Amino acid sequence: MLLNKNDFRRIILDQFLWIIIAVIFITFSLWIGFDRFLSGTNIINILLHSTVLGILVIGQSICLLSKNFDLSAEGTVSLVTVIAAFLMVPTSSFGGGGGYEISPFIVIPLMLVIGTIAGFINGRLITKLRMNNFIVTLSMQLVLRGLSYIISGGLQIDNPPAAFNWLGTGTVGPIPFAIIFTPMLFILINWYLKNSYFGRQLYAVGSNSEAANASGFNSGRVVTIAYMISGFMAALAGWMLLGRVQSSYSKLGAGFTLETVAASVIGGISLQGGLGSLGGAFAGVMLLSVVDNGLNLMDVNPFWVNGIRGLIILLALVIDSQKMRYKLKVTPQSQPQTQE
Amino acid sequence: MKNNLLHKLLLALFDNLIWIIIAVAIIIFSLLSDKFFTIFNLVNIIPRVAAIGLLIIGQSFTMITGNFDLSSESNVGFTAMIAGLLLATSENGGLGLMWPTAVVIPIMLLAGSLVGVINGLLVTKLKVNNLIVTIAMLMILRGVIYIINPGVSATKFPGSYNWLGSGTLFKIPYEGKLVSFPVSALFVLITFLVAFVITRYREFGRNMYAVGANRNAAEAAGIQSNKIILTVYIISGFCAALAGLLTSGRMDTATPRTGADWIFQVQAASIIGGISLIGGRGNMIGAMGGMLLWGIIDTGLNLMMVDPLLIDLLRGLLLLFAILLDTYKVRYLHSLAVNEALSDTKIGLKHKKLIYE
Amino acid sequence: MKTNNLNNKKPFILQMKSIYKTFPGVQALRGVDFNLYSGEIHGLVGKNGAGKTTLVAILMGLQAPDAGDIKIEGHQVKVMTPGEAIKAGVAYVPQRVDLMDSLTVGENILAGQLLKDKLGFINWPDNYHEAERRLKKLGLHLNVRSRLEGISMAEQTMLVIAKAIFSNAKLIILDEPTASLPRKDIERLFGFIHSLKEKGVAFIYISHHIEEVFEICDRVTILRDGNLVDVCNVSELTMGKLTAKIAGENIKENERKSTQEDKPVLNVNGLTRRGFYEDINLSIKKGEIVGISGLQGCGVETLGKGLFAMENRGIGEVEINGKPFLPRNPRDAFTQGLAYLPQDRYHFGLVGSRTVKENITYPVLKRFLMPFGLIKNSDESDLVAEYIESLGIVTPSHNQTALLLSGGNQQKVIFAKLAATRPSVLILHEPTQGIDVRAKQDIYRIIDELGTQGVSIIIISIEIHELIGVCDRILVMYEGRITHEFLKGDNKTTSENILLAIEGENNRNAIKQK
Repeated sequence: MLLNKNDFRRIILDQFLWIIIAVIFITFSLWIGFDRFLSGTNIINILLHSTVLGILVIGQSICLLSKNFDLSAEGTVSLVTVIAAFLMVPTSSFGGGGGYEISPFIVIPLMLVIGTIAGFINGRLITKLRMNNFIVTLSMQLVLRGLSYIISGGLQIDNPPAAFNWLGTGTVGPIPFAIIFTPMLFILINWYLKNSYFGRQLYAVGSNSEAANASGFNSGRVVTIAYMISGFMAALAGWMLLGRVQSSYSKLGAGFTLETVAASVIGGISLQGGLGSLGGAFAGVMLLSVVDNGLNLMDVNPFWVNGIRGLIILLALVIDSQKMRYKLKVTPQSQPQTQE
Repeated sequence: MKNNLLHKLLLALFDNLIWIIIAVAIIIFSLLSDKFFTIFNLVNIIPRVAAIGLLIIGQSFTMITGNFDLSSESNVGFTAMIAGLLLATSENGGLGLMWPTAVVIPIMLLAGSLVGVINGLLVTKLKVNNLIVTIAMLMILRGVIYIINPGVSATKFPGSYNWLGSGTLFKIPYEGKLVSFPVSALFVLITFLVAFVITRYREFGRNMYAVGANRNAAEAAGIQSNKIILTVYIISGFCAALAGLLTSGRMDTATPRTGADWIFQVQAASIIGGISLIGGRGNMIGAMGGMLLWGIIDTGLNLMMVDPLLIDLLRGLLLLFAILLDTYKVRYLHSLAVNEALSDTKIGLKHKKLIYE
Repeated sequence: MKTNNLNNKKPFILQMKSIYKTFPGVQALRGVDFNLYSGEIHGLVGKNGAGKTTLVAILMGLQAPDAGDIKIEGHQVKVMTPGEAIKAGVAYVPQRVDLMDSLTVGENILAGQLLKDKLGFINWPDNYHEAERRLKKLGLHLNVRSRLEGISMAEQTMLVIAKAIFSNAKLIILDEPTASLPRKDIERLFGFIHSLKEKGVAFIYISHHIEEVFEICDRVTILRDGNLVDVCNVSELTMGKLTAKIAGENIKENERKSTQEDKPVLNVNGLTRRGFYEDINLSIKKGEIVGISGLQGCGVETLGKGLFAMENRGIGEVEINGKPFLPRNPRDAFTQGLAYLPQDRYHFGLVGSRTVKENITYPVLKRFLMPFGLIKNSDESDLVAEYIESLGIVTPSHNQTALLLSGGNQQKVIFAKLAATRPSVLILHEPTQGIDVRAKQDIYRIIDELGTQGVSIIIISIEIHELIGVCDRILVMYEGRITHEFLKGDNKTTSENILLAIEGENNRNAIKQK
């Protein structure tokens, strides 16, 4: 039956991912050497590398599931980190902040609130005013980054207080806390999406917002919440990132956007909306981290690494658009409609 | 019939919005700074945005067919860097080859067009979403620039190369000083004229509109939409190369950041100039108006010594505003069609409160 | 009685013989013949699912017949692609015209064939001249310089037809061309079609408007359930005979006991929406099943959606169980006791890529809420199991993708969803569309059962005989107003009378409904 064949092909395309990761792992191990690549330190490195990206991917995936892009997340990262550093770090001639020296216990929640508000604005512009989500979030990115430029005056601010940094650099024994944090976040949120009212709404609205509305959901509200979550995640990622690099500058976070989309798409979250899971997205993040790590160990020119990453992204997009073609075959035949 | 007049007025307003905004902007800036409405300043407006103007042409072409090319800014940097490497001495960041301008420029144009070919093929043959693909190319190309000239800028190009971007056509004495009329201004105006002729008087141009308005109907009329789309991407790449030439010639340098962050301005200017996001609408004269507006805002804000970081913020806001306008224009036109149909029926006519959609 | 040709002199432009076509689960065409002369306007009529769409799809090259011959202008045609069909001279004018609306009329006509000078530049005055000339040859006068947005719907339809003729179409298929046209424009359109007929163009005219078939067609082919019922000269038919052929027999009338109680559950007073319907008054009792029928454009589809708050409802009052019914959106409608089954299953009825279980529980998920917004899976599964059983939904599991079910089962899933909201009023829009005969009986059983349980049901449908079988009353809407009421068991309640009412006959005797 026609349907079965297409279903089959789609399953293969979905599980493709794990096969690829395995292949890459083996390739790198052989090339670099098992002891170097699979050593404890290196594994930790791989995981660490993925922690900040991972949080951002959670937000992006949720937006993608609702059939929207959030291209403004990196702007949010920039803005909240600059504000946080500004508020916490004492003034000094170089690398100083605003001198307010506000406690992290206030600043951190503030960051999260700001991120959520940014997401809210995105959501409203897109749902109430029905503007194109791509361009709206793209311009928001510019606006947010512009704001962070203004606040930081283009200067960097260093050394946030230790109490702030624990998410980014704290350890549990020999293991960085972040390595536990991000995967746990994935698992928790993934489970929540599968078993909660919001999760159902999200998948329904992303798959077919008209039918979802006719079934009593409010697609505008669901999309706005998705954006708010994305904003929140961006702020969370900012917290971790700032805590790790311990220096804020408005260029912080640049370049993450495409990676988050890539990791999500590679992980099976389709651009057509309503398809895929966070588990897959996590695998996508791991893939990118492994590739990054391996290429680094192979002493590949970092700019080549960028290029290769771009190619992986393109490949994922091509595969996803092929998936979209198969979906069209499952819907009813294209006959002339005599009765609308 | 009263409806008709109002409708025609509003439509004319929407179509020529850009010129109204330009007039307003000129007035505002003239009031805010007495240095604005001087010949020295006005002459500078176009050269600042000439490169952006070229990108607007390329972007408008793709948008008219209903597609986006967001990679053009990186293409600018890419082609500029290629030229820089071939032209400059090794102390000045080049490869030391010092090839003649007459060879380098064609190579640049070819490189830019090739990027267009890749974009076009990905969108038409592999049917990947054009927004994502061109954003991916945006980033890949930016990476490639770093690869071919890691972190270094190329400078000190021959005068023949810089002529288009920074050369002067002639100088006129005025109030004791000499005012120079730049080559780039004439060049970009000519290019817009050519673009206008193509879109209005060449079959290819009309086919662009057909594809953007209704791809199925265009195909049914025998128009090969894939070819058209591929071609506009190549044109966009070609324009990006020209823009690279203009900007690196003007600055006499090609840096890894050349062209960076331009894409927002190009989008905003095109949309405000009347090129609609949905495709099939807008003309090159309006797009040129978009470029002019950008130049006016840029020079004006600079004269007022506004922090360049704030300018970025303003640009982002302007883009949002542009999209809002476009959205409303499309919705207005749609509701016009609906009301037209409604006015024909007699149903519900008896009720005093005429409810329009 | 196969009465065929009046004029033996005119050649056949199309001969379709013994066409068979089967889709999974349904036999769409059983040995249908169809012939068309050049210069003939030939009506193609029949209920939904009679096979008209399939026949036309085969002619257009979108489907291949399982068996049968097709000859166009005497040449045998094997399996065609759409491109080949167009080349052979077959053109299709859809209900919603497919033109390039940001371009001018002239450009729409000449797209792809614009006139250029020696250097390849377009001379606009020449082009507009040419466009005007072509239109004049057909007797059409349009402003070629105006953008498409500036001309009326009827003119757009005529433009599409004109374009087809310029592309050497010999045979034009008109699919419900008058659906959204006002009366005066319809006359204009018909005049245009007539003038083309003189020039030898043949038309296949698909319509539910029997009146129009009589007005414009020379012959008419009637299909029913995939079979060819008859081919007649229009001059030898009356409206009554024709509707009788279309309607066929009624389905077995259910011996349905009237389970109505006297309290009115739904009260609609003076509902009006500009351009769609006017002064609608309804009063529906508990457990009553009311059918509303009408042609496309009569306003009944919008009425249904308006009541469900999927669209603007207009002004006027609505009450359910004595309380004002003022939903702002479908969710409110559900909460206040009204549920709606959309006509378009795939776009509005089901979220196809999600599971059966999810689709059933979407509106009522809040019943299974636990703290933190989590869903109590066990309770949910219980509800789903209950409905799957009572409605007889055939599915391998709760987690089956909804899209993969058969049409009938998909519809049952939607019914389950709506029933779960425990509505007082249920509006069904073409509930048996696209469903095979066996499943249709199931659906009517479900409708019946719901009525017995006290749900007031409104069925919006053009399947008159189905309505007769199951409704206590049938209302007819024409041009935005309720014009007739037919009661169950009454002598006057026949397919033929209802069909005539739908067509607007006897309008003067319109009975307003309280």
